Amino acid sequence: MKAKAFNLRDIFGDWWESATPIQRGITRTVVIATFYALPFLNNPVIDTPETSFKSVLFYPLVLFALMAVGLNVVVGKSGILDLGYVAFFAIGAYTHAVMSARTSLNFWEILPFAMGFAMLAGLILGLPALRLRGDYLAIITLGFGEIIRIIAINTEAIGGAAGITDIPGPTPIFGFEFSVMDPRPYYWLTLTLLILVIWGVLRLSHRKPGRAWEAIREDEDVAEFMGVATLKYKLWAFIIGGAVGGLAGAIYASKIRSIQPELFTLNLSIMILACVVFGGMGNIWGVILGAVLLGYIPEKLRFLSDYRIIFFGLLMVVMMNIRPNGLMPRKKREKFQEKIS
Amino acid sequence: MDFSILVTDFWSLTIDGIVVGAIVALVSLGYTLVYGVLRLINFAHSEIFMIGTMTCYLVIQQFGFTGYEEPLPLWKFASLFLLFGLTAAMVSGVAAVILEIVAYRRLRVLGASRLSSLISAIGASFFLVEVFQKLSGAKNLDFPRMISKEPIFTFSSAYISADKILVIVGAGIVFYILNRIINHTKLGLGIRAVSQDEKTSILMGVNVNRIISYTFLLGGALAGVGSAFYMVFYETTKANVGFLIGISAFTAAVLGGIGNVRGALVGSFALGLFQQYTSAVLGYNWKDVVTFVILVFVLLVKPTGLFGESLQKARV
Amino acid sequence: MTKKLLEIQNLVVKFGGVTALNEVNLHVNEGEIAALIGPNGAGKTTVFNIVTGYYKPVSGDVLVDGNSVLGLRPYLIARMGLGRTFQNIRLFGDMTALENVATAADALNKSGLLSALFGLGRSRRDEKRSMETAQSLLEFIGLDHRAHQMAKNLPYGDQRRLEIARALALNPKVLLLDEPAAGFNPQEKVELGDLILKIRDKGYAVLLIEHDMSLVMKISDRISVLDFGQKIAEGTPSEIQKNQRVIDAYLGVAEDAS
Repeated sequence: MKAKAFNLRDIFGDWWESATPIQRGITRTVVIATFYALPFLNNPVIDTPETSFKSVLFYPLVLFALMAVGLNVVVGKSGILDLGYVAFFAIGAYTHAVMSARTSLNFWEILPFAMGFAMLAGLILGLPALRLRGDYLAIITLGFGEIIRIIAINTEAIGGAAGITDIPGPTPIFGFEFSVMDPRPYYWLTLTLLILVIWGVLRLSHRKPGRAWEAIREDEDVAEFMGVATLKYKLWAFIIGGAVGGLAGAIYASKIRSIQPELFTLNLSIMILACVVFGGMGNIWGVILGAVLLGYIPEKLRFLSDYRIIFFGLLMVVMMNIRPNGLMPRKKREKFQEKIS
Repeated sequence: MDFSILVTDFWSLTIDGIVVGAIVALVSLGYTLVYGVLRLINFAHSEIFMIGTMTCYLVIQQFGFTGYEEPLPLWKFASLFLLFGLTAAMVSGVAAVILEIVAYRRLRVLGASRLSSLISAIGASFFLVEVFQKLSGAKNLDFPRMISKEPIFTFSSAYISADKILVIVGAGIVFYILNRIINHTKLGLGIRAVSQDEKTSILMGVNVNRIISYTFLLGGALAGVGSAFYMVFYETTKANVGFLIGISAFTAAVLGGIGNVRGALVGSFALGLFQQYTSAVLGYNWKDVVTFVILVFVLLVKPTGLFGESLQKARV
Repeated sequence: MTKKLLEIQNLVVKFGGVTALNEVNLHVNEGEIAALIGPNGAGKTTVFNIVTGYYKPVSGDVLVDGNSVLGLRPYLIARMGLGRTFQNIRLFGDMTALENVATAADALNKSGLLSALFGLGRSRRDEKRSMETAQSLLEFIGLDHRAHQMAKNLPYGDQRRLEIARALALNPKVLLLDEPAAGFNPQEKVELGDLILKIRDKGYAVLLIEHDMSLVMKISDRISVLDFGQKIAEGTPSEIQKNQRVIDAYLGVAEDAS
């Protein structure tokens, strides 16, 4: 037997597999509870200057994580380079802003619409675009993200360049008030939705859709020869990614209360992409780690924050050159069995 | 929507379309040349163009030249233009070569996936935009007026000014030189060989890495020349100037059939004209939306473009 | 009368101006191993790419179990009953052996993404079916002990066999094998021959492209020979061995004369 190198991932993986359901349940509960408790943490080592840690937890950390998990379905799982992810975020934000002004629906009732419109946009863009090869698709999505913004600027009905102000926040739910002053309920809300999304994505990943996506990423032609309806699954990836982006956008708009087209630039698409690439394309935990690190570092080291796009751009080049699979690669744990003969 | 403007202003729009087309063409050629040898869209090419405009701006600043007071004597304008035009071509060319080495080469040698190369190129593109964003203070950098924009003569509805003549004639000369390089030099032969078949070229003793470097140099230099014309015509730049012209140039390359030099030229002029006509009718704000719609439309209907190079080559 | 599971009628294929296949007729009967041989560049792999829907022919027709598949997307043709392997191995490298096979097995399941997300019973049953199919196919080709290893980390021979298992997961009417013995040593070739016979005995028809003549002659029921896009001969192994045109084609005489 070859001696195993010391590897946290394997140690944890082995333990997890041998753990009883009760042990697993306890671990899950503890980890999740820790995340919910983070806003109560008051520690100078992790505190961020200028913006309070509580508010950094909401934006960028958990919101980046949510978007990164959504984008990861598209880029990491299926290998489709989407450079216009911000468009879905913008659609979600505008849906909440416009519908709350024009209809009597509240935030919770609008949320499905925000996701729905983003999914619809994914379908409309994806149906033609996903037939194209990777680099064309990248340019198309890049253009799409920018075009959505230009359309928003030029459409007076949704506020034009000035955007929309006085957007209401979510109505109270389960005794939580959503006020401008307290970012914590927003954090908890987003965290809850993030956990739901992770649950859904993991579920899909371990079944037929996950295999179809991976096969498409590995070799699209062969996937098609093996009976995978590649266009359909690419579309699904796009739509699911879009839905998560729309969800994040609606929450964001409800928190910041006024939105302008200039909030939704390419830079945001690229930042989320950097989170995915940095953490490890295709690995949901890696991607979350990437989002948390890339969200947190510029907040902590304030001098970096003005240069964050420079840093993110550089990071993408460097990562692709030296560690293309990211901090936590999606590598599967292989199991070796001795052949009994 | 007022379609009569197409009739009344036809010649004015057409001349402007040709001028815009000429500038777009110079950028578009870079996409097409690189695509030919690498089968890859050089995402950061628009930033090479941006670097060209910045170079022009910096060169002119060195002369403390603040603007047009009275018409510059032609010889003075010509020598200034040659100075910043050639400097921009040089800087852009070298920047493109460095870009290839930093962002692409290692990945290509390792045989990394297309996705990795794309991400690397996008990272490089954003890095460059942001660096110049910081250096320029995120401001518009205005170029002094160096050449009269008064019409020299009118032609129907069109006012023909010296800067438009400069762009059209200058670009024509560059296209001629490019044609000589590609069809009548050893370098051009190498580029065409690698574009045809990289593996065989290696076997035939072509130094592919060198050819690729030269291709980036050539494409970058063309974008640099384009940036000089751009500065004379539009008289302003900013760090993200490359994005929209990049989309236009890329659309033009696709329209003509990416990988095909002649296609890039035809595509650029067609696009320049179309942009002028449609924005006259729809309003200038929608120009970029129109470009994007054309891009999507071409990719869907005829992805091989007008001069369909067989880019959808079989991969099995 | 025996049933023709795959039938190619008057197939003409052109790339640019070059005719790759010219009026080719081929068929595969139920329960037989048909072989397609010919010198390099004769158009053998093109036949596979046409019948699986990757290229479109200029004219002609392709029938799977009597139904025309022309113009259908490759994944639908695959589901109708054509499973193929590739000349240069093309596995899903970053997926395990089991997942590779399960991906193809999934194609026959009706349940989609939403039922997988909401954990509907149908999706659970389908998941179980895919996994069991994949597991039993790995056992069939003798790779069950490597089920949880990444495809790219398998030894060469195992990769070739895994491709066969993956194609079989489509429960194909006809299994298309593109040079399955390439890179094998004589011992491995013998084992492969046995495996292909075993596959036929399980009831799958096979269309085999292969350069190794001893293997082809040993296991094929019927052989068709392609040369420069034309079918020049068809018959049993012993007939083919005696056919003068075939011998000339392989020695490069016939085409020089014409």
